Amino acid sequence: MNQQPLLSVENLKQYFPVSRRFTVKAVNGVSFNIFPGETYGLVGESGSGKTTIGRSVIRLYDPTEGRILFNGKDITGRLDADTRGMLRKDMQMIFQDPMASLNPRKKVEDIIGEGLDIHKRYTSRLDRAEQVGEMLKKVGLSPEHAARYPHQFSGGQRQRVGIARALIMQPKLIIADECISALDVSIQAQVVNLMKDIQEETGCAYLFIAHDLSMVKYISDRIGVLHLGYMVEAGTKEEIFSNPIHPYTKSLLSAIPHPNPEVEKRRKSVSYDYASSGINYAEGTEHSVGGTHTVLGTDAEVEKWRTQ
Amino acid sequence: MSEAQNTILDIRNLDISFKTNAGVIHAIRGANIDLCKGETIAVVGESGSGKSVTMKAVMGLLDSNATVNSGEIIYNYVDASGKKQSVDLLKMPKKQLRQQINGQRIAMVFQDPMTSLDPTMTIGKQIMEGMFLHKNMSKEAARARAIELLELVGIPEAEKRFKNYPHQLSGGMRQRVVIAIALSADPDILICDEPTTALDVTIQARILELIMDIQKKMGLSVIYITHDLGVVAKVADYVLVMYAGKVVEIGNVNDIFYDPRHPYTWGLLSAMPDLDTDDDRLYSIPGSPPNLLHEPKGDAFAARNPFAMVIDEKAEPPMFEISRTHRAATWLLHPDAPKIEMPPELKARIKRAQKEAEKYL
Repeated sequence: MNQQPLLSVENLKQYFPVSRRFTVKAVNGVSFNIFPGETYGLVGESGSGKTTIGRSVIRLYDPTEGRILFNGKDITGRLDADTRGMLRKDMQMIFQDPMASLNPRKKVEDIIGEGLDIHKRYTSRLDRAEQVGEMLKKVGLSPEHAARYPHQFSGGQRQRVGIARALIMQPKLIIADECISALDVSIQAQVVNLMKDIQEETGCAYLFIAHDLSMVKYISDRIGVLHLGYMVEAGTKEEIFSNPIHPYTKSLLSAIPHPNPEVEKRRKSVSYDYASSGINYAEGTEHSVGGTHTVLGTDAEVEKWRTQ
Repeated sequence: MSEAQNTILDIRNLDISFKTNAGVIHAIRGANIDLCKGETIAVVGESGSGKSVTMKAVMGLLDSNATVNSGEIIYNYVDASGKKQSVDLLKMPKKQLRQQINGQRIAMVFQDPMTSLDPTMTIGKQIMEGMFLHKNMSKEAARARAIELLELVGIPEAEKRFKNYPHQLSGGMRQRVVIAIALSADPDILICDEPTTALDVTIQARILELIMDIQKKMGLSVIYITHDLGVVAKVADYVLVMYAGKVVEIGNVNDIFYDPRHPYTWGLLSAMPDLDTDDDRLYSIPGSPPNLLHEPKGDAFAARNPFAMVIDEKAEPPMFEISRTHRAATWLLHPDAPKIEMPPELKARIKRAQKEAEKYL
């Protein structure tokens, strides 16, 4: 992987001042790269800052500190018109709740075509309708669905509309924020497969944000594990799953229930409590433990975890 | 599910429909479920399969547009004087149900702990509420019992927490409080409706282990409603798979996970991401659940079933008995049906699971 990264996040910090005395430090110096055409998974429990990172990257928030390079351009700070246009077209987002993220008063063709309208990317009404129809077919719906409203669809179909809306701009990066958490198991599989197919066809990259490690493993090439705003462990999915080092990653992995009753009934999950573990994330530095695998901790801690 | 005298809850031929603007939705089409003392059963299915409606019927919480067409829910219990009682919950007047059964004998834990707690009351008060109502306890006794319960569900510094409001607690802690409330009147049956769906994986494991612990200590019977098969494998003794308002496969947990017979169960198991393989594609059940506004003809699953036969479109399959504990409703089990095996990927996965299980035996 010696190509230029598509997105590179360097030492991102995102603070939210609550009052004069108290500031929520949601993200504390997180760095990672996403290369063209790959899927990067961000996992962590609620409150770990994974959604905040996604939103800072697409500039729904103004990052407090750090640099975000997208397509070789700095997208932190004030944006000029060109950069903003590029960012708004090439980076798209799929949201968690498909019902809440689709305007109930708009027809599906207008929801999907809104980006086209804003960026004036069609020549005639017919062209617009064709592009929307094409996109609907791509996500497994039919062009006749264009005239319907969101409430006429099932949950899985709505999420497909959300994906179509993101895809129609032919983005280079799609941020998928918990986009399958609200769906049923069998529908989750359909949506994940669809996302994989689309990636193969269009070569877009995904930033896949989720708390469900098993799905993340399925779709991601590389994974970053977040806890309390720190990236505690990062690496390829093989590195993380076959050789987890940080105790938090271990507890996350052990918490995944297996569909195997004889094993599951006898297994106890490993619990991890930051307050009583004596670990201070702020003191840790990033340690490379082979390949692209990195762990956050002090020298002594990492040594201890590796021998365990 | 074995000896009849131990059955505590017995749902027979339950049939419920809802009147809506669009027409009549036939949500439950003859469900049979029974629960024995001390057992755990799990009801699995997609949304719209009728699993929650069935449990709402048990609690008498059905919406006003629901009609119970037929069926009975028999609840067997020992009353205060030690006499064995047997009542049909569907025939019981609502008022009596609220006073004698709900909360006191059958308690429920809901999915979202934030919406099931009252934000304007301290958690201590909410736990004691049930004790005043059902047990006529004095304030001091109730307070002592509430603190005891908070300790039981693993909340540190229970005395201090007693005065907290729900918003001062994290999601996992809130769900523990909800469990404490459910246990406050010493129920016989605990119904958990997706108790961990709104929680993180790490907290999910702890809450499940907690419920299992308490169950052992108090001899509870527990009914889980969930769509997560991983959770089912961890907690359940018996599993019921529901589809379109019917139980399509029933068996003990090993039957369902190591020897599933219904194509829908195959689909559900295959759709779970597997941590041990690097398959590129995840299996997904094609299509979506049927709309029960239009009564499906024949087997409701036929349209999504790659193994469907001609008869599936004509007649509904009866329950075929596979072993003493294991039954499934699919025509594939008819003696005249062609021998169809489960998909090879699933077979390989089950083999691997069994091998892994042997290590623990």
